Amino acid sequence: MNLREFNRILRQTLFLPVLLLLVLAGFIIWQITRSSVELSALEHSNDVTEEVLRLEKLIIDQETGLRGYQLTGDSAMLEPYRAAASRIPMQFTVAHGLVSDNPGQMGRLANLQDRYQLWMGFAQGVLNKDPAVFDDPQMNQRGKHLMEDVRAAANAMLQSEARLRKQRSSAALGIERRELIAVLVSSLVVGLFLGIFTRNRLRRVSRTYDATLHEVELQAEEIYERRQWLQTTLESIGDAVIACDNEGRVVFTNSVAETLTGWTAQEALGRPLHEVFHIVNEETREEAENPVDKVRRLQTVVGLANHTALISRQGKEYVIDDSAAPIRGQGGEMTGIVLVFRDVTDARRTEAALIAGEKLAVAGRLAASIAHEIHNPLDSVANLHFLLADEGDPERRAEYLRMAQQELDRTMQISRTLLSLYREPKAPVPVDLRELAESVLLLLERRLVQQNIQVEREYNEPCVVEGFPAELRQVFTNILINALEAAGNNGRIRIRIDYVPAEEFRGAGVMVEVTDSGPGIPQQAEQNLFQPFFTTKGEDGTGLGLWVSKGIVQKHGGTIRIANSHDEELRGACVRVYLPARTLASASTRATAHVSQERLTSTARESV
Amino acid sequence: MGTVAANPLILCVDDEALGLQIRKAVLERAGYRVLTALDGSTGLNLFVDQPVAGVILDYFMPGMDGGQVAAAMRRERPDVPILLLSAYINLPPEVVQMVDFTVLKGEGPVELLARVRQMLVNRPGHIDRGALGESA
Repeated sequence: MNLREFNRILRQTLFLPVLLLLVLAGFIIWQITRSSVELSALEHSNDVTEEVLRLEKLIIDQETGLRGYQLTGDSAMLEPYRAAASRIPMQFTVAHGLVSDNPGQMGRLANLQDRYQLWMGFAQGVLNKDPAVFDDPQMNQRGKHLMEDVRAAANAMLQSEARLRKQRSSAALGIERRELIAVLVSSLVVGLFLGIFTRNRLRRVSRTYDATLHEVELQAEEIYERRQWLQTTLESIGDAVIACDNEGRVVFTNSVAETLTGWTAQEALGRPLHEVFHIVNEETREEAENPVDKVRRLQTVVGLANHTALISRQGKEYVIDDSAAPIRGQGGEMTGIVLVFRDVTDARRTEAALIAGEKLAVAGRLAASIAHEIHNPLDSVANLHFLLADEGDPERRAEYLRMAQQELDRTMQISRTLLSLYREPKAPVPVDLRELAESVLLLLERRLVQQNIQVEREYNEPCVVEGFPAELRQVFTNILINALEAAGNNGRIRIRIDYVPAEEFRGAGVMVEVTDSGPGIPQQAEQNLFQPFFTTKGEDGTGLGLWVSKGIVQKHGGTIRIANSHDEELRGACVRVYLPARTLASASTRATAHVSQERLTSTARESV
Repeated sequence: MGTVAANPLILCVDDEALGLQIRKAVLERAGYRVLTALDGSTGLNLFVDQPVAGVILDYFMPGMDGGQVAAAMRRERPDVPILLLSAYINLPPEVVQMVDFTVLKGEGPVELLARVRQMLVNRPGHIDRGALGESA
């Protein structure tokens, strides 16, 4: 039942009784009016009777006066006679007026008047006679008869009126009784109806109330169950979850979050997020921006900055990966913030170990060349030393020494190039990519010569970018070894270095393009080239070279793309590396083995 | 020893010009006559044309590598001893089996000369023939 229906019922239970009571009142008033008409008729009968009685009395007074005169002869006795005679015609008029509505009574009144006139005739005769003959019995007898007639006529009238009155009285009584019954019955009916009606309405309201109550109970139960389910789900999630209200106060913490933050859910409840979720930049140790503020500012899902470390209540540190999102109400307004994060310390360590491992793998791949490059001159030096020992000719000695120096220089150069794979400055420095490419080619020279690979160089100045030379050398070593292996015996490799001016979406920089004469990239491999552990070389590849290379190039703000060449002469793979002239990389954003290795050892020490 | 007196002819093949020149000087100092070649095919030609007593072969070379050159020489004259010289330790096993000796570059001239002597002594038939050729 909705509110409108409820209001309708309320109106019904108010207006219907009022209406019914009004009808009842009208009915009762009508009844009363009817009975008052009857009562006034009764009154009229009383009036008629009274007037007739008065008339009769006057007539009797007259007769008494006449009789007294007859007996005494004293005319003074006639005083009442005369008094009555003067009033009687008037009295007749009054009575006439009263019974004019009743023809029966009118006839009887006329009869009374006739009889009275007859008696008056007799009385006049008596008054005209000599008082001496008053005791004439005949005359007296006649007078008596006449008077009896008058009385009979008056009585007839009185009796008729009394009958009439009786009729009227019983009618009035009947009406009164009926009235009473009608009022009682109608009251009873109205009362009963109202009772039933109200009960019915009330019952309906109460039924609806019960239903609503039941519904609300069900809903409450459902909400409770859903809440429990949600709670269990959030608890069971492998990631840490913290929910905050709009003011950034913690309202929910799951068990993983409890472990990572070191706060129990109960302790954390209602506290500002930055107290519970204390994050700093892993490298600079600066306080990281509170995700709640960030979400509130951006009104969207945000991920934390890289290298964010969570410091637990107990001071334990976790490298975390996380995201924060606004919780929106039904109207789309923000009602809170949910934070999901996970401990990636192990993953970060593994990644760092992989990157470090890949660096060694690059050196390993160079091992064959390096062994040659170092052992060849060493062999020569050893031989020269042997020759020098027995040589007497100073000219030959000088020649041998010069040759030894030459071979030692070569060894030094190789060793320095090799070391530069590991030595790295703290900040980006200008790197001449042409020199860099040449130094990589130097390390690979032996293999290039052995496989009889022709290297074409197209270097266009300027080729200098900002960056970390050791990392970039690693990138180009990977790319050139790939090219060399793809090209195979008697193959060709083309290295092009071009300056690229600034474009809409990228700044000025240098593009290094390495194309080989190999078979190109199989289509199904194209998607996975930069995935870790993906290799087309079976046992001989780590599957990390391009993954690490991509990481390094991206860190420098550059891009790396691999496609099959469209060149008619070189149909193999074409790797294009773009590096911006001004790098975005800084020492603190470095993601390679150097810093990570330090961290690796320090965290390893901690965990021991 | 007779070998020194006989002045056996040694063929040296290596793509490293400077190293080859120095190795030649060392061998000559030890009393050998030395022929040199900067690649496998040149070396093979000399091997066919000249009465070579032994071969010192570099493994890692452009064009034909040491293994291929050794196989060709074995086909030509299987009794001529071959010493494989390499800067790299992981040589293919079939190549190592095919040659008489392997010496790592950088082991030094004393070691090299000892191996060369051993190689020539261990092949008496060849030495006889070589000595015969030399003496004739």
